[in-house]
Amino acid sequence: MFKWNKLGKVFAPQEVEGRSWLKEFAQAPSTLLFDDFVRVYFSCRPPADTNGQYVSYSAYVDLDRADPFKVRHVCEQPILSLGGLGEFDEFGTYPVSVIRNGDEVRAYYGGWTRCESVPFNVAIGMASSRDGGETFIKLGKGPVLSYSPDEPFVLSGPKIRRYSDTWYLWYIAGRKWKIVDGRAEPVYKIRMAFSPDGIHWTKMNRDLIPSRVEEDEAQASPDVFFANGKYHMFFCYRYSSHYRGKENGYRIGYASSTNLIDWVRDDAKAGIDVSEEGWDAEMISYPHVFELDGKTYLAYLGNQVGRYGFGLAMLEGKLE
Amino acid sequence: MSAMKWKKLGKIFDPTQHKLPNDCMQFAQSPQALVFNDFVRIYFSTRAVDKCNGKYLSHIAFVDMRKNLRDVIRVSDKTVIPLGGLGCFDEHGIFPMNVLRHGDAVYGYTCGWNRRVSVSVDTAIGLAISRDDGLTFQRIGDGPVLAASLHEPCLVGDCFVKVIGDVFHMWYIFGTGWKRFSLDTAPDRTYKIGHAVSTDGINWVKEEARQIITDRLGADESQALPTVIAINDRHHMFFCYRQSYDFRKNRDRGYRIGHAWSDDLVNWTRDDENPLLDITPGDWDSDMLCYPHVFECDGKVYLLYNGNEFGRYGFGLAELE
Repeated sequence: MFKWNKLGKVFAPQEVEGRSWLKEFAQAPSTLLFDDFVRVYFSCRPPADTNGQYVSYSAYVDLDRADPFKVRHVCEQPILSLGGLGEFDEFGTYPVSVIRNGDEVRAYYGGWTRCESVPFNVAIGMASSRDGGETFIKLGKGPVLSYSPDEPFVLSGPKIRRYSDTWYLWYIAGRKWKIVDGRAEPVYKIRMAFSPDGIHWTKMNRDLIPSRVEEDEAQASPDVFFANGKYHMFFCYRYSSHYRGKENGYRIGYASSTNLIDWVRDDAKAGIDVSEEGWDAEMISYPHVFELDGKTYLAYLGNQVGRYGFGLAMLEGKLE
Repeated sequence: MSAMKWKKLGKIFDPTQHKLPNDCMQFAQSPQALVFNDFVRIYFSTRAVDKCNGKYLSHIAFVDMRKNLRDVIRVSDKTVIPLGGLGCFDEHGIFPMNVLRHGDAVYGYTCGWNRRVSVSVDTAIGLAISRDDGLTFQRIGDGPVLAASLHEPCLVGDCFVKVIGDVFHMWYIFGTGWKRFSLDTAPDRTYKIGHAVSTDGINWVKEEARQIITDRLGADESQALPTVIAINDRHHMFFCYRQSYDFRKNRDRGYRIGHAWSDDLVNWTRDDENPLLDITPGDWDSDMLCYPHVFECDGKVYLLYNGNEFGRYGFGLAELE
């Protein structure tokens, strides 16, 4: 079992001032390293509208590289605009995953639209930055990864990686909408696609991680990190119903692979769970692993899926 | 090229005169033919009312007609293909469905509709396969085979598929965007005709937002439901086109039938006048002509199409002279 030492909450959106679009939530952290700071992208929301509905934006906070608990800067504007009328990302750009590609920084993000019979649908978009990841231009008005016979809806949670000149996109694909107490709740599973250029994708069309807690287990945030000769995936999972509280809420799972395709799930090895009390006592979710100056960190969300921000844990020992 | 001319044969099917499956009433839209030895099966989209909210749900039905294309043998009395499940692309309607034989199977390419909040609807193209000569169809999956992509942001639908050589060709429409043309109207959409190819009919490669048919009415022209046939080694495409707003009740802005031809399946020359199918004042198609489908039967080339009110009262036929 890995041993993660929790360092506490790093960033609370409620403490940021002067940004009407950044009032709550700092979801799905994704890092980009700079010489003297770590840029952490996350997704946030302005207050809900009069119907109780949210839109979501993506943003970043720069943390001091020597002391990640020191916030140096929060971006002034969302990194992406919402899509136009009828476009796939009209109501949200969440979550986002970034990667360097030469002088470019690429962002892959979930674009949200609102539907009549179910609350929403999501497809994956792509945008590119030429100013070091401060602002991004969308590649097109439509998604770069969309629905297909075996992946009918809710393509979200992208995590972009590149190994040996091949681009890999881990993401989640909706399996079914389940009616729970009169409300449609999505069930989704972890999937993967690969590409020579990051634009034209071939889907593997199969679930990578077997479900554990129930058949309709929902899985999210498939965060892959290569270390010590194998690929490590931290992800989160929850029950399909009544998951907004502690009992059925998100926990962090773990799987490993030597070939990026076949994964062995072993949640007992994950080494991080909810705390006895505090900001992450009810649920922990959206893990993201990164290395910084010889140390391995895990960024993750606490209660209410990141409504109050994200925290960090540091690994004792090695990922192996 | 010698002049081609359509001879109108009148309305051949009126949905209000028949009992339809799925509690459907009125509408026989986008007729599509499957030719058998001794009859022609014509699929169409008809409508039921959604009990939840009074909105329409489009269902596929068919009518079998004798080869004189006048006498009705029967109308389908069972569900040809059920609508999609909760949250799926074809949950709120299938309109139209393009059918073609492939080996022992019949492939049905559906245009599935699902309702949105900020705009009325989005669509995508699905594939369902029939193993019983087109009586019933089963989806290959819950999701679509062709959907929105980087430069085709919405409303992928209305496809026509034809195998030429070893290649599946698909002509379809893609939305270029939604726009509110005036403050007191709901957003309207604009779409254009595109092209994709496939080796198996399932995995498609789009030309990605290449509009293959030029606009006649300018950028706000919407083009719909292409249908393609080879006549004397030349490919002919028929489709319908209209203005993008105020097209439902304004006769001068509503659907008309367009035409283009190509010798290489890449470059298309638009030529709506040859052959021209025009409205007939005072008749069932006096205000509108839409949803063309061209097919060959016993050496004759026919065009099925809808008239006024987008086919609320049925479809008619023309024969190429």
